[in-house]
Formats: sequence, C-alpha cells, structure tokens
Amino acid sequence: MSKFTFILLLSFSVTSVAREKPHAPEELLGANIVSVEEVVEMILSKPGMVLIDSRKRMEYIKGHIEGSVNMLNTEMTLDKLQSVAPDKGIALLFYCNGVRCMRSADSINKAVAWGYTNVYWFRDGWKMWAEKKFPVVID
Amino acid sequence: MHIEKLSIKAATTSIIVMVGVVAIFLSLFAGSYFRQAALNEQVSSLARVIEVASHEVLRSVSEYTFDLGMILGHNKQLITALDEADSNSSKQDIVALLDDPFINGFVGFANINLVKLRVYSLDLELIAESSVGISGIENHLPKYLATQITRRSKIERLKAMDALWLSDHSPFFSTLVPLGGLHSVGYLEVVVDPVFNLHQIGKITKTPISVFTSTDKQTAINDKRLQDDYLPVTFTLLTSDGEPAFKIVGYEDVGKLSVAMKRTQLVTTSGFLLLTFGTLLFALWLFNKFLFIPLGQMVEGMKQIAHGKLDLIVNKKGLREFSIVADSFESMINQVKLRTNELERLLNLDGSAILRFGQDGEVIYINKGAIDLFGFQGEKISDLELCDLFSDEAIEVMANYSANSVAVQDGPLQIQLGCVHKKGTKFTSDAIITPLVADGGFGYTMVLSAVADNEDTKLARYVANKVENNEHRIWAVERSLNSILEMAGNNHGVISSLGAIDGFHARSVKLQDDKRVLREQVVRVMQSALVCWESDLGKTKLELAEESGIWQVYIDKSTPTTRTLDKYLHIDSCPKNPRNQRVSDTAEFVLKKTKSKLSSCRKKLEEELEAFRTTKSGV
Repeated sequence: MSKFTFILLLSFSVTSVAREKPHAPEELLGANIVSVEEVVEMILSKPGMVLIDSRKRMEYIKGHIEGSVNMLNTEMTLDKLQSVAPDKGIALLFYCNGVRCMRSADSINKAVAWGYTNVYWFRDGWKMWAEKKFPVVID
Repeated sequence: MHIEKLSIKAATTSIIVMVGVVAIFLSLFAGSYFRQAALNEQVSSLARVIEVASHEVLRSVSEYTFDLGMILGHNKQLITALDEADSNSSKQDIVALLDDPFINGFVGFANINLVKLRVYSLDLELIAESSVGISGIENHLPKYLATQITRRSKIERLKAMDALWLSDHSPFFSTLVPLGGLHSVGYLEVVVDPVFNLHQIGKITKTPISVFTSTDKQTAINDKRLQDDYLPVTFTLLTSDGEPAFKIVGYEDVGKLSVAMKRTQLVTTSGFLLLTFGTLLFALWLFNKFLFIPLGQMVEGMKQIAHGKLDLIVNKKGLREFSIVADSFESMINQVKLRTNELERLLNLDGSAILRFGQDGEVIYINKGAIDLFGFQGEKISDLELCDLFSDEAIEVMANYSANSVAVQDGPLQIQLGCVHKKGTKFTSDAIITPLVADGGFGYTMVLSAVADNEDTKLARYVANKVENNEHRIWAVERSLNSILEMAGNNHGVISSLGAIDGFHARSVKLQDDKRVLREQVVRVMQSALVCWESDLGKTKLELAEESGIWQVYIDKSTPTTRTLDKYLHIDSCPKNPRNQRVSDTAEFVLKKTKSKLSSCRKKLEEELEAFRTTKSGV
C-alpha cells in the first residue's frame, strides 16, 4: 500500500470519527429500557429502587433526578455498587445525559456482569427528563 | 388614416418605439414595486425575528423561574410547613420562607424580576403567598394554568408549567412547579414581571425597540426612533390564552436598505433598459437588413418595370414571402413580355406602317412596315425622332395638333403627311394620327397607309432615284469644287477669277462652320454638366439620366445604359442635328441641383451654357 493511500484512509477514518458522536446501543443484554414516564411511575411505585446517575459530579450537582445516586461509570466498582444495592435482585435504574451518552450503558454492562438481574436503563436520560420539565433536584 | 399610406418601415419603427416606451414604464414601475415588496418583506422578516426573540427571552425567564421553583420545591422546611398548613404558625412560616428569596436573593436573582411566590394545595387552593413583592393581584392561580393542570393526568401534573397571563396590573409570567418534587404535596407558583427581560429582544434583533402593554401603555422600554431611516415593525406578543399581552415595536434601520435598493433599482432598471434597447436596435438592424432594404429595392424595381422597363430584373433577395412576391411579379412580367411580343409580331404582320412617338417626338415603337417604309432595315431605331422621318410641314402640323388639347377628345386625325426616307427622298403618305396619353404625357400613334406598288409609285421611285443620283453628282461636284477652291487659295491669281464661285462657297462654309461650332458646344456643355454632376454630387451618369428624366435609360443584357446621352458626350458620335433643348435642360438641371456648390466646374458649366445659347440664337 502506498504512503499516499495510507494517509488518505487514515484521514478519512479520523474525519469520520470526529464528524459524529456515536449513539448508545439500542438495547443492552440484561437491561430493560424504560421511558421517562415509566421512570416516574417506577420511582413512585417502587420506593426501594436504586437510581444510579452515571454522569460526572458537576453535572449531577447542577441537577439530577430525585433520589438518584451519583456514580460515574469509570469509578463504579462492585463494592461501591453493593454499598447502595447490596441485593443483586433489587431494581437498579441507570441513566446519564441521553442517547449519545455511553456512560450508563457501560455501567449497566458492569452491573450485569457482576450478577445484577433486575436492571433498567433510562436510555433517553437527563436530556429528556429536563425537556419534559419533571422535578429536578439542584444541590 | 389610410393604411395604404403607411410603410412597413414606418409601422415597424413605430412598434419598436412603442415597445421601448412600454419597457421604460415597466422598468420604472417594476423598480418601484420591487422596492415596496422588499420593504414589506423586510417588515415581515423582522416581525418573525422579534417573535422568535421574544419567545427566546421568555424561555430564558422560564429557566430561571424553574430553577428557583425547584430549589424552593425541594425545601424541606417549606414541605413540612405545607404539611402542617392548617395552623397559623405554619402559614407564617411558609410566608417567611417565601419572603426569603426576595430578601436574601437566589441564583439568578439579577436575571429576573420576581414579583410574587405563591403556594397552592394539590386542589389548587391558595394557601399562602409572599408578603414581599407586588400586591393586589388576583388571589388565585391564573386561569390558563388552572385549566391546563386539571386536564393533566397524575404523572403529567408533576411537570412544570409556564404561562404568560394578564393581571389587573400588567402581564406577568408564571411558572408552576410541584412542591415536594415527585412526591408532591402542593404547587408553587413563581411570578415574574417579563418587562424586565423584554429589552433583551433588542439585543437579539440588534434593533431599537419599544414595548407597550395591551392597553398601549408605554413600558420602561422605549427606544423609539422617529427618523425616516427607521421603519417601525410591530409584533404582538400573546398570552398563553391567546390575548394580546405586549406590543413590541422594533425599529429597523432601512437607510442602508434604501441605499442598496436604489442602487439595485438603478442597476436593474438600467440593465433592463439597455438590454431592451439593445435588442430593439438589433431587431431594427435585422429588419433594415433583411426587410426594408430588399423590399425598397424590390419596390423600386417594380416601379421601374411598371414604367416600361420590362427587361429589369426585380431583386429577390429578401425574406421568403417577399421573394415569393418578387417571383410572382417576375412571372407576371414575363407573361406581359410574351403578350407584348405576340402583339408586336401581329403588328409587324400588318402591311401598314405603325409608329408611336413620345412627348418629345422620339420614336417609342416602330413596326416592320414602318421600318421598310422609311428604309431603316437592320438598324437601331431607338434614336430616331420625329424630325428624322417627316418633313418640317408634317412636324408643324403634328405640333399644332398636340398643342390643341381638344384634339385628344376629338379622336384620330386623318391627314396626308410628307415623309422622309432614310436616303433623304421625300414622299407623301396617308396617315391616321391618334393622340395617346401615356407615360405621364401626350404622344402619338401614327398609322401610315401602305403605298400600293402601282405605276405612280414606280414613277415616284424612279424620280426619287434620279433625284438621289443627281444629289450624288452634286455632292461629287461640290467636293471637286472644294478641292479647286483649296488649290485657288494657294494661288492668289486664280482666286480673283473664281470670285463668284467663292461667294457661294463662303456662305456654304459659314453655315457648316456654325453647325460644327454648335455641335462642339453641345458636347462641351454636356461634358461640363457631367463633370459637375459627378464631382459636385458624386453621382453617376446613369443617375443623371434617371433623375433628370431627360435622357432615356436602356437595358442592354440586364445592364442599364444611356446610349443617347453618351452620343452627346463626343463630337464624333454627336448627332448632326442635336436636340439643343435637351442639352439646355440638362445643363439647367445640373445647375439647379448643384445650386449650393460654388465649384469651378459649375462656373465653367454656366459659361459653356451661356456661350451655347448665344451660338444657338445666332444659328
């Protein structure tokens, strides 16, 4: 392969990546995707459900869903998760910034791998929650 | 107006001029209309910009009121106090908590003008309101918010709601949020005065604005511009119920737009007009090249043919339709020529001598009988004139006849005329002269009866031959006499003895000299006239013959020639008896045409003409 062709392919791949941020997967193995209204209903109907906010700390402080626990995906360990959800069968709901955010998906993959079985994914995330003007908690 | 008087050229030019005038009016009208349309579009565009800007401002206000509502809505003290709202102390606590943002401020305090905080139960009954802020507004939830929230389901009610509504004071903006978050125990209404934020519309639209309430009351925002360069654009901001809340007037600076419009108008109008006139001129040029000029040549050719020049070929180089017309005309001419030839052939079969003379006595037509009668077989007869064929008496008779205009009405004249044979012999013939009006003047048609070949005729011919022979003899004697006189001139001794003969010879020589001088002057006058015509007017000999109408133009193998005129330009070819009047007329015609010139050739022509007249009067 000539040098020119290599540079061309490289630049094409770089621009392709830079052009568009990837979407979160449409579905995740071991997790149920829920809408914003279903989230509200679950919060009201399942008081024991644990909400995990997978965003950064600053984002969490500016506003988050009532009752959620901030746990960045990269910092989430089994111990930390077990500290808020000791029972692996407990309802666990993850969310982050929205469909272009991969953090909650990453967290779910970890949780499922660690053996959590009742996992829910609010894929539309914070963006949809704020748009719908549901109550938020500002610290 | 008679349409037949209007030429194609005049009609086409008029149409093109009309199109040009219409183009001017249209371009001016279009320019004006275009400017007005642009201004209207500018107004419409700015109105939409103000609309978007006002909604953006309200959205920004909503963010601040929502944040304040969320902070207060999750205030545990407020929630607790609301749970115990039945007691007076709790209500006082609620009021104190609601007054706190007014006193101690909140995040976004500087960005909105908070006028009231009110708490409602889940049944939307007013429980308490802040004691600080505006007073006197209605003590219930705005109608729009109340209507909307009662229509919502339980979960939907948890969503915050915004509304722009009309109070007794002025329009307010409210945000209703659930108190207690998702586990709501009541509602909190954050009321702000939107006028505080509406000035930001001007920053977004980058135009000065003025804001009026629905009752046309001026608010604190007033950047009214009265100059002509500012175009007021009004947008009415409606409440959530659809009633007018604010009238926002933006002042668009149309000065630059006007300048740009004028420039655009000038460029487009000028361009359009230039293009139009260029196209019209091009069309006119095309018309001239392919229509007017060929048509003019065609018409001129047809006119000449109509005047008898049947040999002329009509110019067919024109548009298809005109070419067809020319072809048809030429076919018609060919038919006419054919018929004419047939008629001539018929006339030639007749034994009578038939002649036709023009106004000046020139021969226009002569049949074979007449050619035979006068002895001109095989010669060109176009230069023959009345005086070449008839005696002076006969000419005088015919002149008197033509001078009497009644003759035209009286019909043919039967008379005996003295005729002159080519050889010079004279004879008499019965003639029927019919006056004829043709080619714009009088003429004659003359039928001479064929002379029967009887004894008298034979005798007459015999006598004529004798006379002819005698004339030859006399001519020979005269020539011998001339030789003798020449010899005598060289020998003075002999001359005295020939005195009597010399006297006879002197008279004869003088007459011949005068005629020769006259002929020479004729040639000089004609040459001077032609030189003057060509040099002063830049025209040709052919044009002189055509324009003056004095000299006939002949067609030889499709080429126009001036045979008769040419003869008068050289002494060798000049007729023995030249048409002096024609020569005078030609000189006078040229002098008249070159009246404005003061050239030497014209002066010379005047001198030649004067000398010619003097000589002519002497002869």
